[in-house]
Amino acid sequence: MGIVDVIFGFNALVLVASAIGVISSRNTVYAALFLVLSFVTSSILWLLIEAEFLAIVLVLVYVGAVMVLFLFVVMMLDVEVAAVREGFTRYAPFGVIMAGIVVFELLTLFWARASGLPIAAELVRRAPDASNTREIGVALYTNHVFEFELAAFILLLAIVAAIMLTLRSRPGLKAQDVAAQVKVRREDRVRIVKVPAERGE
Amino acid sequence: MSNELVQFLSVVAPEAIVGTGICVVLLAGLFAGDRARDATYLLSMVTLVAAAWVTGSAAPNGSLTGGAFVVDSLSVVLKMFAYAAVAAVLVYARAYLVGRRMDRSEFHLLVLFALLGIMVMVSAGSFLVMYLGLETLSLALYAMVAVERDAPMGAEAAIKYFVLGAIASGCLLYGISLIYGATGALNFTDVAAALQTTTGARPLAAAVGIGFLVVGIAFKFGAVPFHTWLPDVYQGAPACTTLFVATVPKIAAFSLALRMLGDGLDVLASDWRFLLGAVAIVSVVVGNLIAIAQTSIRRMLAYSTVGHVGFILLGFASGGAEGINAALFYTLVYIVMTMAAFGLVILLSPAGQEADAFDDLRGLNQRSPWFAFLMLLVMVSMIGVPPLAGFWAKWWVLSALLDAGQLSLAIVAVLFSVVGAFYYLRVIWLMYFEPPAMTGARMAPELDLRLLLSVNALLVLGLGVFPGNLLRLCARALGAVSG
Amino acid sequence: MLQNYLPVAVFLGVALALGLILLGLGMLLGRGRKDAEKLSAYECGFEAFEDTRMKFDVRYYLVAILFIVFDLEIAFLFPWAVSLDALGLSGLIAMTVFFAVLVVGFIYEWKKGALEWD
Repeated sequence: MGIVDVIFGFNALVLVASAIGVISSRNTVYAALFLVLSFVTSSILWLLIEAEFLAIVLVLVYVGAVMVLFLFVVMMLDVEVAAVREGFTRYAPFGVIMAGIVVFELLTLFWARASGLPIAAELVRRAPDASNTREIGVALYTNHVFEFELAAFILLLAIVAAIMLTLRSRPGLKAQDVAAQVKVRREDRVRIVKVPAERGE
Repeated sequence: MSNELVQFLSVVAPEAIVGTGICVVLLAGLFAGDRARDATYLLSMVTLVAAAWVTGSAAPNGSLTGGAFVVDSLSVVLKMFAYAAVAAVLVYARAYLVGRRMDRSEFHLLVLFALLGIMVMVSAGSFLVMYLGLETLSLALYAMVAVERDAPMGAEAAIKYFVLGAIASGCLLYGISLIYGATGALNFTDVAAALQTTTGARPLAAAVGIGFLVVGIAFKFGAVPFHTWLPDVYQGAPACTTLFVATVPKIAAFSLALRMLGDGLDVLASDWRFLLGAVAIVSVVVGNLIAIAQTSIRRMLAYSTVGHVGFILLGFASGGAEGINAALFYTLVYIVMTMAAFGLVILLSPAGQEADAFDDLRGLNQRSPWFAFLMLLVMVSMIGVPPLAGFWAKWWVLSALLDAGQLSLAIVAVLFSVVGAFYYLRVIWLMYFEPPAMTGARMAPELDLRLLLSVNALLVLGLGVFPGNLLRLCARALGAVSG
Repeated sequence: MLQNYLPVAVFLGVALALGLILLGLGMLLGRGRKDAEKLSAYECGFEAFEDTRMKFDVRYYLVAILFIVFDLEIAFLFPWAVSLDALGLSGLIAMTVFFAVLVVGFIYEWKKGALEWD
């Protein structure tokens, strides 16, 4: 058993434990933080199979951005801890059925895999200076360039939809308009009035 | 290099035009201010016409490197139909949006995004492209349902639709990953080739994947037991959104089913035919039964959609080119019929209100005999009475079923279409034999809306009297795929 | 290949050990006489007004989602930059189109005022 196996075993254990933490912790903020831990450990697992770009993206995008969004949403929802518990027994049988189906399917898969799938039995180890990121780049921007451009439109759609659904204009807001402040001239504000001096008695 | 670029552009030209149109409409809506109201409408129409012209003039055979994106006769026919349907939606929605002071430029924008997704799905040659197109379409639809964000019903419908839709997308993606794991390929042709040559455990993993794919397809079509979003969305969304959601995405759903299952997984057809058949027959039964109990015209149409979708899927399940041909014919006829039905709902929605209860239809004959007659045509066609288009659609699906020896499925389908006749007849009864409930509410006066609705409903009659042309068109479109 | 990550692993190990040692020493050596007042939240000397779990404004969400969109753009940019020498002009065109579409999105959010906070 090499060092790689030890690292794999340790991270896999942490991954499973933190995944259990995600679904079992009562506090949604803790659940989100457990999810961060599981993302980080799975990115280490990806490093082990030399999928470096995916590992980086997982940390960069999911831990760095998506989980921040999750935390905002969790805090926006103002979930009462007690209220979350209420539905548990009601939905438990349904959950057990779903879990059973998934377990069954996974078992068939493992069986199918044991009897010979084209999944690589041994990973192809590359030279130390081979760049996984570069290979992804070459594949993405030549053969899959259509999918790439389509992704731009999906992102544009996400921008439009998010702004459409959440941005509210607030009329009557007394906000500071710096540009207008800078642009203002003396004539706009000050009016010099010649007041004839009063004559004393 | 430039040769490659020209080749690339010649294949994706319609998509490029719609993409450019999206950017132009977006900027126009942003900068033109109040004048944008009509500018975005006109620009969207120009985009559709340009896309249709390019689609029609290009040769219907081409593909991108590796075959991830294909242009064949099926994609050309479906795209042309989608342009026409989207143009009709824009005309219907125009009057509705004006009456409600809703932001029209964003509705037009979302419709174009959805169209882009549909076009990509229609031309998809690989699971990846299909999934990306589906997500483009779905995201646009979610936003469209929630476009009136302060309406509680609309927000609830959008949340339900979004959560269920995300789960369905997840299922689809999981199924795709299983099939990728089993075959090592994403392009439909490569998947088919890989499945052809192997035995042993591979087909098993692919079969598990098919289960998930069918879940995704059933959800996007709105078949039982994944139909629960339909009534809420139909009822909660603004009528113009309902009109769109109920009609045009069915083209994409048809392509989703045909290209993934028919092209990619034809070797395992017996598996997915069984699953689709089960989903289909339950849809026909449940949809028609629950529709009877509805008091809202939109919920009734939603459950009637479930029943129609059951028939479309029965066409797939029957197997063979004839069944798929019948399914395509049914899909197109369904879109024409449903568009007319929801067009009438829009016509009946006076500014600031939504026509929803059956009472709004009461005594329509006295208020407007012509539109009552058109609605009569649509309802009778949905029942499936000759000589209307709905009859032929049902007829060919049933004959395909009988040819495949699925007698029991055919009998159940006929039985429950007869049950379904009940609620369509109730609409007709309300229109003709009940006194009008409302007196004050007037109908939308816009000429283009009335004209389009008349043409649309008469098309149902026209396709019924002359079904041969559309059927031949369907057969020709499919010739390239299943031949 | 994986050997290249040895420094990272060493770094992680040192970071972990250092954190544990500092926390552990604090717990062992600190005297910590805790009482209710010391453990309560400190809010400028006042009694705490409300629970920490207050609702966040929905605008944070908008900022976060716009950030994700451009974060993903960076994720696309990274392999492109690494492989540009192999891609040539077609790669440049592809990324230009991608950026043009996202610049349209950027104009949209700017003009709509989604980047303002007021």
